[in-house]
Amino acid sequence: MRVDTKARLTFPGGTHPPESKDLTRNREIQVGPAVKEVAIMLSQHTGAACSPLVGQGDAVKAGQKIGDSDAHISAPVHSPVDGKVKEIGLRPHAILGRSPAIVIEASDPNSVRHPSFELRADFNEGSYSPESALWRVRDAGIVGMGGGGFPTSVKLRADSKTPREVLIVNGCECEPYITCDYRIMLEWASRITVGIALARRVSGCSRVFLGIEDNKPEAINAMNAAVKATAGAEGIEVAPVRTKYPQGGERQLIKAILNKKVPSGGIPPMIGVVVLNVATVAAIAEAVVCGRPLTHRVVTVTGEAVAKPGNYYVPIGTSIEDLIGFCGGAAENTAKIIVGGPMMGIAIADLKTPITKTTGAITVLTEEQVVRKLERQQTPCIHCGRCLEVCPEQLVPTKIAHAVKNNLFDVAERYHIRACMECGCCSYVCPANIELAGYIKTGKIFLARQEKRMPA
Amino acid sequence: MPKDLTVSCAPHIGRGISTRRIMADVIIGLVPAMAAAWYYFRIRAPILIITCIAASVATECFCNLLRKKPNSIWDFSAVVTGIILALSLPPDLPVWAVVIGSCFSIAVGKMVFGGLGANIFNPAMVGRAFLTASFGVLMTTWTVPVTIPDVKMSRIAPENIVDARTQATPLAWSKLAVKNRYGAQIYGRQQFIAAVTGEVGGCLGETCVIAILVGGVYLLVRGTISFHIPAAVILSAFVFAAICCLSNSYRYVQPLFHLTSGGLLLGAFFIATDPVTSPLTVKGKWLYGAGIGTLTMLIRVFGEYPEGVMYAVLLMNSVTPLIDRLFKPVPMGGKPGIR
Repeated sequence: MRVDTKARLTFPGGTHPPESKDLTRNREIQVGPAVKEVAIMLSQHTGAACSPLVGQGDAVKAGQKIGDSDAHISAPVHSPVDGKVKEIGLRPHAILGRSPAIVIEASDPNSVRHPSFELRADFNEGSYSPESALWRVRDAGIVGMGGGGFPTSVKLRADSKTPREVLIVNGCECEPYITCDYRIMLEWASRITVGIALARRVSGCSRVFLGIEDNKPEAINAMNAAVKATAGAEGIEVAPVRTKYPQGGERQLIKAILNKKVPSGGIPPMIGVVVLNVATVAAIAEAVVCGRPLTHRVVTVTGEAVAKPGNYYVPIGTSIEDLIGFCGGAAENTAKIIVGGPMMGIAIADLKTPITKTTGAITVLTEEQVVRKLERQQTPCIHCGRCLEVCPEQLVPTKIAHAVKNNLFDVAERYHIRACMECGCCSYVCPANIELAGYIKTGKIFLARQEKRMPA
Repeated sequence: MPKDLTVSCAPHIGRGISTRRIMADVIIGLVPAMAAAWYYFRIRAPILIITCIAASVATECFCNLLRKKPNSIWDFSAVVTGIILALSLPPDLPVWAVVIGSCFSIAVGKMVFGGLGANIFNPAMVGRAFLTASFGVLMTTWTVPVTIPDVKMSRIAPENIVDARTQATPLAWSKLAVKNRYGAQIYGRQQFIAAVTGEVGGCLGETCVIAILVGGVYLLVRGTISFHIPAAVILSAFVFAAICCLSNSYRYVQPLFHLTSGGLLLGAFFIATDPVTSPLTVKGKWLYGAGIGTLTMLIRVFGEYPEGVMYAVLLMNSVTPLIDRLFKPVPMGGKPGIR
C-alpha cells in the first residue's frame, strides 16, 4: 500500500458547501455550563442498549458506571456529576423520538470539570497490554464520537478472521460550521498522539494515517509537531486530504488515503482498515492512561443565530436548552436548531434533548438561511445528472428517490438504496429542489421496518 | 428561546441553483444566435421568435388548466422550446404554420407525457418534425440572408438558382454533389467564411457559427451544460465526414463544411444537451452525442434529406432510457454481495 502523503488525495463525487467555520474556529475550548440536571441516555451507541445499574434515589459519584450491558456490541454509560438519580424515564432523542435515560440531579449545581490530561515523561504504550487496554476502553464506555457511535472496544479488538493492517484516524471534519475536532487537534494534540499509539498497539495495525482536510493547515502542523514530540508516536503519517464534503465519511477517507474501496454493505475491517475519530482517540488516551471514563465531550455551538458561538467542553447529558442558554441564547429569528451540522444534522423541536456521546455540534440557523430551501417549491426532475456527479457512493439518487416516492422498492433496491450514506450532497445540488436525500432516507426506514430492524 | 422551530429533513442548506436559472442561462446563450438571425433575416426573426414563444407559453398555460395543475410556465422551459423551435425553422415560414408547430411541440412533445421532465423526445424537434411531415414544401423553401447582394453559393453550381431570393442552402448543394458524384471539391475558403459568419441560406438561427459558438461557450463556462455531448456530436460528425471525404473528395465535401453548415452546432450545444432527453451518466452522454453526430452525417450523406440533425436527435432521444440502463453506475463499494 504505497501512499503519497504529499499528494492532493481525494475521492470521486462530493460537493463544496460554504465552510462557515470562521464563527468558531478560533475560539478555544471553554468549559461548558454548570448543570443542575443531566439525562444520560441508555442507548448512545449502535448495539444493545444498556440496562440501568442504579435505581431512583440512589446517590452516584462522578465517573461512576450507571448502565451496562452483557451484549458483545455495547458500551457502558457513566455519570458525569456527583448527585442523586432523580428518575429513569424517557427523554427526547433526535432519531428515536423518545428513549430511556437516567436523569441525575447534580448535588453541586455550580461545579464544572476542566479538561486535563497528565502524561508522564516515561510514557511507553508498550507498558499496556492490548487486553488490559481494551478492557479499559470498554469499561470507559468509549464509542465512535464522530457520530457513528460504534463501541470502540469491539472495533479495536484484533480478530483473526479480519486482520487489521491500517489504522486511519479521521480529523477531516468536513461538515460546515463544526470545529470541535479542529480545536482538539490544536489544543489536545499530545492526547491524540498517545491515543493513536495505544490504538495501534491494541489493534495490531502496522500503518497509521491521520487524515486532515487541507483547510486546516494549523491542525496539520500541530499534529505533525505532536507526532515528532511524543514518544511512541513514530510512524504516524499525517495525510492532508483535499477539502470536499463528505471527505470525513470513513469510506471516502479510505478511498482518498489508501485508494481502496470498502465493499458495499461491508465494513472497513473487511479490507483490514480501522477508522477512528480524533475525539474518540483522545478519549482512549484518557481512559487508558488516566483511567477516566467518557463523561464529557467537546461540542461546537455555532450558527449565526446564537449569541456566543464557540467550542465547549460539556458534560454528556446536558440538555440542549441549557447549553444554548449558556451560549447567550438563540436569536428571535431562529428557524432551526440542528443536532450536528447543516448537511447531515437532524433538526429538533424539543430542546430538552440531551447531548449524547455522539453529538459534536449544535447548529442554530436563522430564517433567511433556511428559507431558500424551505419555501421554494419542488419542481419536476429534469434529469440534469448533477446528483450523480456529486454522489460520493456513485449512486443514481434521482432514480432511487423517485422509486421510493412511487412505492417501487424493488426498483430502489436495484439502484442500491442500501449503499446510500445519507450525506445530503444530492439534495444540496438539485436545481429542482427535490428532497432527494429525504426520500432516500424514508425509503431506507421503510425497508428497515419491513425487515424488523427498526420498530414500526 | 425561540418559540417556533422548523423541523424538516437534512440537508438544511441548499446551493440556490434552480431549474429556472438553468433555463434562463440557456436563453442567454441563445441571444447571440437570435441577434445574428435578426441581422441576417431582418423582420422575420422577431416575428418567428416572438410567435413561437407566445404560442408555446400559451399552450402550456392551457394544458396546465386542462390538467388542473399549477401553472408551470415560470420555469421558462416553454420559452426555451419556443426559441429553439423558432431558430430551427425556415425564415419565411408563414405565421399560422409557426403557431401550429409551437402548439404541437408543447402539447404533444411535452404536456401529453406529463409535463417537464416526463417527455421522451425533445419538444422543439417534435414540433419541427410535425411541420416537416405536414407542410413539406413550406419547410424546404429557403431564403437567402438580406445582406447578400448576389448569391454566393450559386456561383459554384449555377443551375441551383431558382429565383434571386429563394435558393438552395449549402446542404442542398452538398446533397447534389453526392448525387452527381462531382462538385464537392470546389468548397473553399470563401465558402467557409460565408458559412461561419452566416451569409448563407438556412434556418433562422443556424447560419451564424460564431454566434452559436459564443452562446455554447457561455453555457459551458456557466456550468449549465457539460462538454461531453457537444464534444461527442462534433467529433463523431467530423470523423464520419472525414472518412467520407478521404474516400472520395469529389463526391463528399470536407468535414469542416459539415461542421459549419446546417443545424449541427445549434444541435450540439442547445438541442442535444436538453437535460430531460439526454442520458444521466457521462459515458451515456458520450454514446448519445456520438450517436447524434453519426446519424446526422448518415442522413446527410446517404439519406434522402439534406439535413439530419432533427431526426438524429429524435432517434437518439428514443434510445436514452436504454443508454441509462446500459451505463448504470456501479456503486463505489461494488455490487452489493454482502448483507
